[in-house]
Amino acid sequence: MAVDIPKSFEALPTSSPRHIGRGRRRVEDPALLTGRTQFVDDVELPRMLHCAILRSPFAHAKITEVDTREAESLPGVVAIVTGDDALRWSHPAQSSPEGWGTHCLATDAVRYVGEPVAAVAAVNRYVAEDAIELITVEYDPLDAVTDPVAAMAPDSTLVHAGQGTNVMMDRVFTWGEVDQAFEAADHVVSEKFRWNRMGANPTETFGCICEWDPLDLSLTIRGSIQSPSMFGLGRAATFALPSNKVNIISQPHGGSFGGKGGTRGTDVTCLLSRKADGRPVKWIEDRIEYLTAGGSQAWDRHYQASISVRQDGTVTGLRVGLIDDLGATGEAYGAICAAKPLAAFTGPYTIPVAEYDLKLVATNKVPSGPYRGMGPPPHFFVLEQLMDLAARRLGMDPAEFRRKNFIPNEAFPYTIPSGNEYDSGNYEEVLNQALALADYPALRSAQAEARQEGRLVGIGVASAIEPGVFDWNAYAIVGMPGTGVPEGATVSIDIMGFITVRVGFSLEGQGQYTLISQLVSDYFGTDPEMVRVVYLDTQSAPPSFGPGGSRLGVAITGAVLGACDRIRTKACRVVAALMQTEPENIVLHDGLFGIPGVPEAQMSVSDVAGTMLARSDLLPPDVDPRPEATHVWTAPGRTPADEEGRAKSYLTAAQAVHVVQVEIDRETGFVEIQRYCLADDCGTRLNPATVEGQTDGSVAQGIGAALLEEYSFDEDGQPQTTTFMDYLMPTVYEIPKVEKVAVVTPSPFTPLGAKGCGEGAIHTTPAAVLCAINDALAPIGQMAREVPAAPKRLWELIRAAGDTPEDGLI
Amino acid sequence: MKPAPFEYAAPPTLDEALAILSENDPDEVKILAGGQSLMPLLNMRLARPELLLDLTRIDELGGVRALDSAVSIGALATKRDVEDSSLVRDRNPLFMESTVMIGHPQIRNRGTVGGSMVQADPAAEYPAVAVALGAELVARGPGGERVIEADDFFITYLTTSLEPGEILTEVRVPDLPAGTGWSIQEVARRHGDFAIVGAVAMLRLESGVCVDPRIVIFGASDRARRHPEAEALLAGERPSAALFESAGQAVAQSLEDPTDDVHASADYRRDLARVLCARTLSEAMERAEGSGA
Repeated sequence: MAVDIPKSFEALPTSSPRHIGRGRRRVEDPALLTGRTQFVDDVELPRMLHCAILRSPFAHAKITEVDTREAESLPGVVAIVTGDDALRWSHPAQSSPEGWGTHCLATDAVRYVGEPVAAVAAVNRYVAEDAIELITVEYDPLDAVTDPVAAMAPDSTLVHAGQGTNVMMDRVFTWGEVDQAFEAADHVVSEKFRWNRMGANPTETFGCICEWDPLDLSLTIRGSIQSPSMFGLGRAATFALPSNKVNIISQPHGGSFGGKGGTRGTDVTCLLSRKADGRPVKWIEDRIEYLTAGGSQAWDRHYQASISVRQDGTVTGLRVGLIDDLGATGEAYGAICAAKPLAAFTGPYTIPVAEYDLKLVATNKVPSGPYRGMGPPPHFFVLEQLMDLAARRLGMDPAEFRRKNFIPNEAFPYTIPSGNEYDSGNYEEVLNQALALADYPALRSAQAEARQEGRLVGIGVASAIEPGVFDWNAYAIVGMPGTGVPEGATVSIDIMGFITVRVGFSLEGQGQYTLISQLVSDYFGTDPEMVRVVYLDTQSAPPSFGPGGSRLGVAITGAVLGACDRIRTKACRVVAALMQTEPENIVLHDGLFGIPGVPEAQMSVSDVAGTMLARSDLLPPDVDPRPEATHVWTAPGRTPADEEGRAKSYLTAAQAVHVVQVEIDRETGFVEIQRYCLADDCGTRLNPATVEGQTDGSVAQGIGAALLEEYSFDEDGQPQTTTFMDYLMPTVYEIPKVEKVAVVTPSPFTPLGAKGCGEGAIHTTPAAVLCAINDALAPIGQMAREVPAAPKRLWELIRAAGDTPEDGLI
Repeated sequence: MKPAPFEYAAPPTLDEALAILSENDPDEVKILAGGQSLMPLLNMRLARPELLLDLTRIDELGGVRALDSAVSIGALATKRDVEDSSLVRDRNPLFMESTVMIGHPQIRNRGTVGGSMVQADPAAEYPAVAVALGAELVARGPGGERVIEADDFFITYLTTSLEPGEILTEVRVPDLPAGTGWSIQEVARRHGDFAIVGAVAMLRLESGVCVDPRIVIFGASDRARRHPEAEALLAGERPSAALFESAGQAVAQSLEDPTDDVHASADYRRDLARVLCARTLSEAMERAEGSGA
């Protein structure tokens, strides 16, 4: 049965959509706002125990003894696990690249501060924390290596002695005649950059409740789990269980942004439940655990990059050398973040050839994890600084320099050197809209006046691509197998015409349940209030991946519309039989099935559903009597990666231009963002209010990255930023008003023409803010090469320029 | 993030609180007021008292009252109480300004004036304005009541001259003298964060020259301190940008052992002290001129 998924609003079976494409209030919000949403920490199970984890105080040490006897005798303690239990009952974590995973509890050595060494399950968390203080661990401290460049030296201390090296991967990918491009260039611009480790900090940290069934030999895990099906497969591998013996129940969770990996803590908690004879054990990661050893310290990067440019301003080649510090293991997706830039390596530009010299290095820090954007934001920070350096050298305006190199409209679909295909775009229009919104000429003239007064005012104009609808093939170079990421939905209409949609992902904040109600109500001509969305666990749900990689809005739209279409086809056969005509003559329009133009030959959706459910005797014998269908949507046309990592990977390519004005206080080094304007094009906007919310949040996180957020370590590997006093999230006071304008270029490849937009602005914001800072610093001959551009760093740059007040003018 | 076990007492009167304190080893007792610093320390098990003595039921320690030439603020008055006090706003706009610079509304709703003084965080606003204004801190202990000058109260990082067994009961903030121009400014990574460096400046203008100049730098070293060398440069001189800059340089030179941490190096803090000294003096001068004195 062919499934017809509408590619535009016009193709929906309605005269005019009343819900989709409009900024509808979210169905998720009443429960959130009244505190009735059940987060994992709200869940209480009978006989439940509470876990506390004893963590390593050393970045690198041998463990010579773990003594739990005193802790075991503390009243209220039920179970204690150590590395011995991990060895007995579990395998090392899966990792990327392969072979760099460890057990969830240290077995012989600790490799980062905060690495779990032992854990206690007790009647409450207080007792559990009392008990871990009674466990004595003897450590034999070893030298720690925290600098990835030093870690690559042949005589470096080894994080994993058995590996013989700290280099997890070292490969150069070449796409086209890069040497020729650089040799033939009129100019080569080359720079070093440093992106410091930072990451997601959702309001809710990770948490889980794990329950081992000692008779069934199965696991049930509830938690703030973003990707339940994959999480379940991972646990099955860790505990050598059949995949149908691990059930994952994803509780609604507060944000994620990639930061709720939680696999290690979950595995520890599973071991505790097993040792406690199957009593459920809850572990709620506290903020210090999260900041010290949580799942989202991302993008600890050292770049050496260059572009080749012709005198007329054409960029002819890009070289990016990246030393990526993945921390102590490959368990947490840090490597994937280094692979994802392949999906948009050359950004929005027609750069024809490129090279990626990628080194993944182990150090004695927390394993590096994912964060919103999954790797490209630092890549675009680097590319956009190079673009500005080249424009400055050529004496071109940075906006016009970008315009000259944009992929033109007629070139789409456009294949970039690293292999991915961009679906559609109108980059020049996005630039024009952003410049118009900001009144760019006026900004430049105001800047000229400010410079006359000796003020450090800068304007950044930056553009980037947001790859949307991820596929595993994008990460083939770091060892992720496979192609294809499914998302399924089951749509059922009941005897009263109410509609239930069953999905395999829970609430995370992006409003997809609202989106589903918009889609279904327009498809069947009902009210959104008649649509209910129900979450199913991994053993019950249709195939599902859930949110991630800017995919779920597009994917669930495909799944829901596909399921609706399957019901439509089935219902048309039923109606045709009742009306004694052929199914081809029956049309669904505005909630009625019938013969077009014949008012008496129409049946409402609820009448058809009621007939199907109550009168199977009237139906054609081969029609399934349930007004229900499941559709599983997968991005079409994805290709396996070739030897150089090239693949059609991410299905959509959204694009944005941000225009930012900053002023740097030349005495203190503090940056004030005075103006923030952006234009973005993520195709059809299914719920424009949601898109705006994603953009606002993502700008905020981008500003955090650009100016504030940084996980720092001393040379012994001790983390220096373990509370929110030192790890600085932007607050409402640090985020300027963001002026936004939308350009809509539908994707030709997706349901309704929507593109992935969930990660959004963070691709562009750090680049744009740094472009503005460097524009401000240009007159004093300085450049910020390190993110975040903290005031201490800018103060050093200004001081190095000899820019003291006594000097007077610049 | 759960505290180690402790005993808990919440007496309704100061006398009972003092009695409880005297019956226990004072080193094993932590006194709870607004809890904005102590609660995290307890939860992180960095503070592990045997007894938590909660003062928040003692009504006599609250309130803001007028004295002849000062405002008396009960140790348990919250920052919000101060923020809402027209008495403080009228008598001492500097103290009011420093109040609204503290943290965020949620913190000011619970955090107390006495708690901030006793915590003696070197980057906190209240100790700095207390030193600048010459506030008096009143304590009760086994030996009765004791009045301590602010400059003698703050010793070093998180350390005051309160004796074991003493409880801070009251802060007496002298009224801002007529004609005084003032300024408090700070550099913090984000709005509401503890200052990397802050400065308080006060001065009057008489016959066109600076009188009774006071400069306090906070956040830069172990405690908020006045800078007599810089003040001496100003006294009796006509205000000018150059004079304020040289005062700033004097402050930078006299700053002892600046703090060095992830947010700012010692050199950076020293330079910020110079900048903020000059900026606060400039603003204080504008206010002094505007006062018509």
